[in-house]
Amino acid sequence: MKASYNWLKDFVDINVPPRELAHILTMAGFEVEAVEETEDDAIFDIGITPNRPDCLSIRGIAREISAILGVPFKDISVAIDKEEGEGPVVIINNPELCPRYSSRIVYGVKPGPSPDWLSKRLESCGIRSTSNIVDVTNYLLLEIGQPMHAFDLDKLAGKKIVVGEVGKADTFTTLDDEERRLSSNMLLIWDAEKPVAIAGVMGGQNTEVSSGTVNILLESAYFNPSSVRRTSKSLNLSSESSYRFERGVDPEAVTIALDRAAQMIVEIAGGITTKITDACPGHYGPRTITVALNKISSVIGVDLEEFFIKKSLLNLGFKIEGEGETITVTPPTFRNDVERDVDIIEELARLYGYDKIPATLPVMQMSPAPEHKTQQLIKTLKDSMVKSGFSEVINFSFMSPESLDKLNLPLNDRRRNFIYIKNPLRKEDSVMRTTLVPALLSNVSMNLNRGEKRLAFFEISNVFLPSTRKLPDETTQMAAVYHKGPTPSIWHSKHAGFYDLKGALENVFATLNLSDISFVKDAAIGPYLHPGKSCAIFIHNEKAGHMGVLHPLVAEAYDINGDITVAEIYDITKILKAVPTKTTYVSLPRYPYIERDAALVVHDDVTVSAVKEEILSIESDIIESVDLFDIYKGKPMPIDKKSLAFSIRYRSASRTLTDNEVDKLHSEIISRLQRNLGAELRT
Amino acid sequence: MHNDLHSIKEAVREEADKALSLQDIQDLKVRYLGKKGLLTAKLKSLGSIPREQRPEYGSLLNETKKYIEALLDKQEGIFKSVELSKSLQSQQIDVTVPGCFTPWGHLHPITKVLDEIVGIFISLGFTVEEGPEVELDFYNFEALNFPKDHPARDMQDTFFISDDVVLRTHTSSVQVRTMEKNTPPLRVIAPGKVYRCDADVTHIPMFHQLEGFMVDKHIRMSDLKGVLQLFIHRVFGRETSVRFRPSFFPFTEPSAEIDISCVICKGSGCNVCKGTGWLEILGAGMINPRVYEMAGYNPDLYTGFAFGMGIERVAMLKYGIDDIRLFPENDKRFLEQF
Repeated sequence: MKASYNWLKDFVDINVPPRELAHILTMAGFEVEAVEETEDDAIFDIGITPNRPDCLSIRGIAREISAILGVPFKDISVAIDKEEGEGPVVIINNPELCPRYSSRIVYGVKPGPSPDWLSKRLESCGIRSTSNIVDVTNYLLLEIGQPMHAFDLDKLAGKKIVVGEVGKADTFTTLDDEERRLSSNMLLIWDAEKPVAIAGVMGGQNTEVSSGTVNILLESAYFNPSSVRRTSKSLNLSSESSYRFERGVDPEAVTIALDRAAQMIVEIAGGITTKITDACPGHYGPRTITVALNKISSVIGVDLEEFFIKKSLLNLGFKIEGEGETITVTPPTFRNDVERDVDIIEELARLYGYDKIPATLPVMQMSPAPEHKTQQLIKTLKDSMVKSGFSEVINFSFMSPESLDKLNLPLNDRRRNFIYIKNPLRKEDSVMRTTLVPALLSNVSMNLNRGEKRLAFFEISNVFLPSTRKLPDETTQMAAVYHKGPTPSIWHSKHAGFYDLKGALENVFATLNLSDISFVKDAAIGPYLHPGKSCAIFIHNEKAGHMGVLHPLVAEAYDINGDITVAEIYDITKILKAVPTKTTYVSLPRYPYIERDAALVVHDDVTVSAVKEEILSIESDIIESVDLFDIYKGKPMPIDKKSLAFSIRYRSASRTLTDNEVDKLHSEIISRLQRNLGAELRT
Repeated sequence: MHNDLHSIKEAVREEADKALSLQDIQDLKVRYLGKKGLLTAKLKSLGSIPREQRPEYGSLLNETKKYIEALLDKQEGIFKSVELSKSLQSQQIDVTVPGCFTPWGHLHPITKVLDEIVGIFISLGFTVEEGPEVELDFYNFEALNFPKDHPARDMQDTFFISDDVVLRTHTSSVQVRTMEKNTPPLRVIAPGKVYRCDADVTHIPMFHQLEGFMVDKHIRMSDLKGVLQLFIHRVFGRETSVRFRPSFFPFTEPSAEIDISCVICKGSGCNVCKGTGWLEILGAGMINPRVYEMAGYNPDLYTGFAFGMGIERVAMLKYGIDDIRLFPENDKRFLEQF
C-alpha cells in the first residue's frame, strides 16, 4: 500500500518528519519498505499484513499514526447539501454473500479530466488517473479503503440493481476487455436483464462509464470475504477491490464512502444526487471481548498500567467497559481481526513497544531429552561418507517423469507411480522424486561440463511413493555417485572407481558397527547399471541396496564419459534397526600367530569370496583370517585365468602353534582349493 | 713389564688421536684387541709369567685392555655418528610433494548450518521432531488458523497434490502433529525441507526451515525474546543487535518479526540490508489459542511461543553467499568451500 504523507496529514497532525514516521510505523507492525521523498510530499510503501485490511487506506493508517503518536484523529465529515428523488431499487438475493449494498444515482454529470490535485494524489499512490467519475471512486478506495463502482445508469436495464447468483450466464466481459468464464459459485451484480459486474472483483464493459455518460449509479457494498476470494481465485483475477473485499472492508464505512463519493462527484463533475438506498439485510453486530488484566503480563511478561491500557485502546477506536481485574472491550467494526483477548494483548504490546519487553529465560521442568536415533544415524552416515571423500548434495524433491526413461526403467517399475504436483513451476518438476539417482547424475554431468574432475557426491533425502493412506510413503534413501575421471594426483592408483565407492560404503557400515554385509552379484539389479559390474548389498540377509557401474547407454543419455559408479541404500531407517545397540569387548589374543601365503591361479569365474568361503569351511579353529593381497591377470597365465594371492593367519586361543601343524593345515587347504575350485598353485 | 703395558696404552692413545676414519679405529681394534692382537697375545702368554707376579700383572693387563677398549669404542662412536650424519644428509626427500590421502568430502552448507542451529537448541533442552514433507492441508494450514479461502494463505504460495494435500510450506506443520502426541511441557524444534511455488533471483521452490516452539503453563513473550536473543548471539556473535517488531502470522498472537543488525555493514547501511542496517531473520510469536484448540489443549491453561527461520537465509548471512540459487545447484567448487 502506497501512502502519501500529505494525504495522511488531512487526518492527523503528524509532528515527525517522514523518515522518522517510517521507522515508527515499522516498529508498530506496518513495515515501511521504502520512502520516496518528492519535492513537496513523501510516499511510503507500506507492507500491510493480511489481518489489517483497515490499513489498506489512508484513513486507516492515519488512525494508527494518531494512536501511536498520541495525537488527535481528525475524521472526515460528509454533508450532502442537496438530494433529489429516491435512490435506486436494490434487490439482494443472497444476503449472506452481500450483507450490505448502498447506492445513489447522480444525474447530469459531465465526465472529463480530473482536477490536478485529484489526479496527483491518485498517481502518487500508484493509481492512474482516467476521468473524474472513475477517479473519485478510486480516490475513496485509497482514502477510506472502500472499493466502489460507477455504472452508466442509462445502460442498466430497468435502472435497477439485483445482487444474485450466476444462474444461466456463462461468460461475462469485464472492464479490461477480457471475456471471463463464470462458474456457479460466483456472485454477480445484475440489472433487470443481464449481469453488469462480478461482485467485488470487477465491473462489466456493458455498463462502463464513458465520455458520453450523463447519469451514473454508484455502488458501495460489503461482500462476503470468502466468496470474493473464491471468485477472484477461480477467475485468476485480482483487483484493488477484490484485494480489500477478501480481507474484509468496514461495513460501517460503506455509506460514508458512498456519501463522500456523491459529494465529490457533484463538486467536480456536476449533477445532483438522489437519496441513498441502503440495502442492509445482513448482520454485523459488534463483538465484545473480556480481558483479564493479569493475563496481559502472563502473555507478554510486562505489567502494563491500567491507564496505559485504557488510553491505548481508546486511541485505537476500541470501547471499554469495566474497572479493575477484568475489562470488556468492544473493537470497532473495521477491526474484524480482533476476536479474542490475545488480540487485544497484541494491540497493547504493539503500542507499548516490543523493544521495551525485557528478554528473560523460561523456567521449565527438567525432562530427559530423547535420543534422536535416526538423526544421529544420518549424521554418522553423512560424516562417514564425507571422510571417504564424498561431498553432500541437496537436490529438489521434484523430478520429471521422463527422467526415468533416461534411466531405462521399465514401464511397470514401481518408481513410475508418481505423486503429481497439480501446479508445478515447470513441466520438468511435475512429480515428486521416486529415486535420487537422476538428480545425482545431473549433478555429475553439470560439474563435468564446468570442467570439474573426480566427482564424488552423495545425498540423503526422501523419496515419495503413493500409499493406501491419504499421504504418500516418504522413505529416506541414500544415493552416492562416483566419477573417477583422469586424476592429476600422483598417488592415484589404477583400480576401478567401483572399488572406491564400495570402500566408502564398507567404511560407513564399519562406522555403524554393522557386520554381516555382503555384496552379491545380481545382473537384474537395475536396468541403469552395467549387468556385469553391479551387485546387490545385503545387510543380515536382507537386500538393503545396490551398487554398480552406470550402464553405458544411461551414461550417454546424461552426457557422462568415463568411469562412473552409482550406489543406493533403499531405506535408512531399516539400517538403523540393524545397527547393534551394544558393543561387546573380545579379549586380545594371548598367543602369537603364524602367517602363510597362498598364491593361486583360478578361472575368472571363481570369485574372491568363493575362495574365502572354501578356506573357512575347513573344520579348524585356528584359521583366524583370510586376506586377499594381490590380483593379477596376464602372462604367463591363460587368458581366462587370474591369480589371487591370499594371506592366511593361523592362531590358537589356547596355545602357541608349531610350524609343523600350520604347514600341515595349510597344505590341506591348498589341496582342497585345487580339488574343489580347480585352483593351481602359482609358481 | 709394567712399563711395557704403559707404553702400549700411550701408543694406542697416540694412534687413536691420529686416526682419520672409522676404518683406522677398527684397524687399531684388530691390532690390539683382535684375535692376533698385541694385548690378546699378552693375555695368552700370562702362563709364562712367574706365578707370584701373575695376579698383579693379570689385573694390570685387564685394566689396560678395558682402558683401550673404552678409548677405541669412544673414538669409534664419534666416527660412527659423523658417518651416520653424513649418510643421512645425503638422503634428502622433497617435503613439498603433497601428502598421500583421499581428500575428505564436504557437508552441504545447509547441513552445516542446520547442525549448528539444532545443536544450540538441543543444548537448551529442545527435542527434534519431524513431520512429512507431503502434508495434509489440515496440519499445514487449517490447524494453524489459516482457514480455507483466507488471504493469509497468500503469504505462502503453495504446491498442491490434491485439494487437501500440499507440499508443506513451512515446518510449522509439525506443531499440531507434535501437540497431538504429547502433553506440555514441550520444547521442540522441527528442521526440514519446505516448498513454495515461487522461483526467481531470490526464491527457490524448495528450501529449509527450522521451526521451534515451547509450550508450558507460564511461558511469556519475554521468554521468547530471551531464547531468540541467546540463539542469535550464538550464531552471529554477541555484538549482534536484535530487534523485535510487530507482525502477523495466523498461528501466533502477538506476532513478531525479528531483525538483526546487518552482519555485513554492522548496521551502517549497505545493499544487503537495503540501507536500513537491519536484516529480517526470524518470524515468531506467542502461539495463538486457536492452535491449542485445534490440538485439543485447553487454551486457558497453556501459553507458549513459536518461531521459524529460513536456513538458506541464515547460511547466506553467515557465509556471505549472495545468490540463493547456489544451494540447489551443487557445484563442486561451491560445496568445497564449506
